[in-house]
Amino acid sequence: MLGLAHNQSFECAGREDASKLVGEFASVGLPGNMTLFHFGNCFALAYFPYFITYKCSGLSEYNAFWRCVQAGATYLFVQLCKMLFLATFFPTWEGGAGVYDFVGEFMKATVDLADLLGLHLVMSRNAGKGEYKIMVAAMGWSTAELVMSRCIPLWVGARGIEFDWKYIQMSFDSNISLVHYIAMAAVVWMFTRYDLPKSFRLPVTVLLGLCVYKAFLMELFVHVFLLGSWTALLVKAVLTGSISLCSLFLFVTLVHSN
Amino acid sequence: MFEEASEVFDNMFKSSFPLTFIVFIPAVLILVSPLPAEAAHEFTVYRMQQYDLQGQPYGTRNAILNTEARTVEAEVLSRRCVIMRLVDFSYERYQKALRQSAGAVVIILPKNMSTMPQDIVQQFMELEPEMLATETIVPVYFALEDDELLSIYTQTLTSSSSQGSSSAAEVLIHTATANGFQMVTSGAQSKAVSDWAITSLEGRLAGTGGEDLPTIVLVAHYDSFGVAPWLSYGADSNGSGVSMLLELARLFSRLYTYKRTHAGYNLLFFVSGGGKFNYQGTKRWLEDNLDHTDSSLLQDNVAFVLCLDTLGNGDSLHLHVSKPPKEGTAQYALLKELETVASNQYPEVKFSMVHKKINLADDTLAWEHERFGIRRLPAFTLSHLNSHREVQRSSIMDVRSVKLSRNTKLIAESLARVIYNLTEKGAPGDLQIFTEQMMQEEQLSSVVDWLTAQPRAAQLVDKDSSVVSTLEYHLGRYLKDVRRHYVKADKRDPEFVFYDQLKQTMNAYRVKPAIFDLLLAFCIAAYLGVIYLSIQVCIDTTSTYGNIFASALIMQTHFFLCHGIREIQTYDLLFSVHGIRALRNQDGTSCSFLCI
Repeated sequence: MLGLAHNQSFECAGREDASKLVGEFASVGLPGNMTLFHFGNCFALAYFPYFITYKCSGLSEYNAFWRCVQAGATYLFVQLCKMLFLATFFPTWEGGAGVYDFVGEFMKATVDLADLLGLHLVMSRNAGKGEYKIMVAAMGWSTAELVMSRCIPLWVGARGIEFDWKYIQMSFDSNISLVHYIAMAAVVWMFTRYDLPKSFRLPVTVLLGLCVYKAFLMELFVHVFLLGSWTALLVKAVLTGSISLCSLFLFVTLVHSN
Repeated sequence: MFEEASEVFDNMFKSSFPLTFIVFIPAVLILVSPLPAEAAHEFTVYRMQQYDLQGQPYGTRNAILNTEARTVEAEVLSRRCVIMRLVDFSYERYQKALRQSAGAVVIILPKNMSTMPQDIVQQFMELEPEMLATETIVPVYFALEDDELLSIYTQTLTSSSSQGSSSAAEVLIHTATANGFQMVTSGAQSKAVSDWAITSLEGRLAGTGGEDLPTIVLVAHYDSFGVAPWLSYGADSNGSGVSMLLELARLFSRLYTYKRTHAGYNLLFFVSGGGKFNYQGTKRWLEDNLDHTDSSLLQDNVAFVLCLDTLGNGDSLHLHVSKPPKEGTAQYALLKELETVASNQYPEVKFSMVHKKINLADDTLAWEHERFGIRRLPAFTLSHLNSHREVQRSSIMDVRSVKLSRNTKLIAESLARVIYNLTEKGAPGDLQIFTEQMMQEEQLSSVVDWLTAQPRAAQLVDKDSSVVSTLEYHLGRYLKDVRRHYVKADKRDPEFVFYDQLKQTMNAYRVKPAIFDLLLAFCIAAYLGVIYLSIQVCIDTTSTYGNIFASALIMQTHFFLCHGIREIQTYDLLFSVHGIRALRNQDGTSCSFLCI
């Protein structure tokens, strides 16, 4: 009896100590090497869905790695051409700081049509079933985009002492981009089919336009509605999700009707 | 996948050697590059004094800081940087931080000191010498407040004060959402500055009528002192003294230009440096003039030495002497003239003589005249302060000087009466020698403004400083033989040692505690698991039921697109394991589908 009471009192004391210990541990400052852990977190969040998609879509059975790398190289080339084109033909906007140049940004977004051409080029060089072509092109394209536009900011920024939520948001954004490029590749493939039924032409064209101008639409939303960063990410996810669901719908219909 | 990757890299290496360079060299360069620091907030901080005087160390000894921020309310303060605001500052809190071996202390001062209530200012002024007297190992910094710093402070305050009270779950949630701040200074450790030269300036006005004329010496030290050297502007102590000295130089140089008003006294003006560090400039100047030269104005007939120290505020004037002047001396004459002028022309000023013997056993001398008194020259100091220990002489809060013009007039009149012997000639007590046009008040206030525009701590004014050169130029306009005089500390037994790293840039980085990264890793693992499972489930369902699902989709779409939106009729669905063979809709037409 006495021993039990003794144990209970230890327990009560232990709980207070535990919470104090948790508090102390929680408030321990961040040593330098833990920031590499944060970089690891962001990198895992960004890269693992790509890895999972690669594995589960059965691309590894087809020895598609080299073809994905080629798709990535095409991405680099297309981005380079786009940048040269933009730099040559679009002067810098001289207007006020707060005014958003709708027409200028619209024209710049139109240059993103080159992305579609690039995807078409990749897919036409690969022989195989529709799904294979689409997945190879989309995986290579989006992985190249991940490496080029997200890895370097993550490496430079997420490793620093300063913490910012934008790195986690960047990694989420790369997941959304993966879905977006798969949808875009599917829509491009459907558009270039010679046996596309007439009734499909209109929805496919609409989806194509949405894919190209999605970035422009997102900027518009953020500017007009003054969305916060997490809200903008949510809106982007919803938009991409809806585009991809529509394209999946159309793709499945098209594939299985032949 | 890794085998394929290795194959690809093999191909790349064998086929095109330059390509590998183009790919890998930038990658390597980026990997080994140093991390650029992007801070939440970067601000300038000013360190507390650090100096040795006559072998005794004073102030803080350390300059480097790389710790997490806390406020005083937090439970654990050891090895943390304690942030305090001036309004909450008290000596007990400061001592508490030091007792718990805090890593550093940062005191946030308001940008505009005049908005502070007077009692807080007074309390801080009294604490300054106490803070300096205790030698602290931890670095103590002062920062001027701005909006971001205030927000950092409030965030740290909320997280510090909620530390001890809540349960473990609340603490976990709190660590996920709140921000901690890591304060890092960018400079190096402080070291002693070698070969620092304290500059002093002298100039003279020669009297007329003979060889062995008596000399009147006017002295004021130009450096300022406070708990932080970069924040000591010293408007009253001793900006007022220097500007008064310049004004007197100007007035008497004008009088000495005309033969009728050229008096029989030599006037020697001395602007000394290192005054707050036991009057180093004056000490060395006296040694040089009395010991090392053959003839100097100081060696011959010195009537008296008048030191001007802190004359900018207040309604009293004290003449501090170490020996009461004897009757018949020039000293006594000045004393009497000051009394006369004060009582007749400025009745609101209370004038008195304060007698304090020189105490050589003290660490530092009290007033500047004691340096002259040790060398047996008749000297006194004029100040509105009653005692040399008053805290207004060495405070960073010393930024105003309002009664300077009145005091300047008073002293100028008294000096003129002594020099021209006016009382003996019968001039009444209320005779104003200097008219309004002669006293230039705007010049006086602009000199004070210029002096207080930059910190004039002795550690910051070296011989190339703009303060010294501007003073030299100014003196040169009115006086002859303007000369510089340097003091360097002795190599083996230095009287004073100054240290550097007095102004630093501090970065405040937003940090999250270690447990936050673990939480985040856990959430990301859960998210990835969900994605993996959902992809697997999708693939499984599409492979087994995909045919049925697809056919259902196709049927609906085909119906949709062929027959329009007008009528969507119900129809029977026949499912079979082998697929759908045919469907019938209600009006009998059957669309046949591919067997899957």
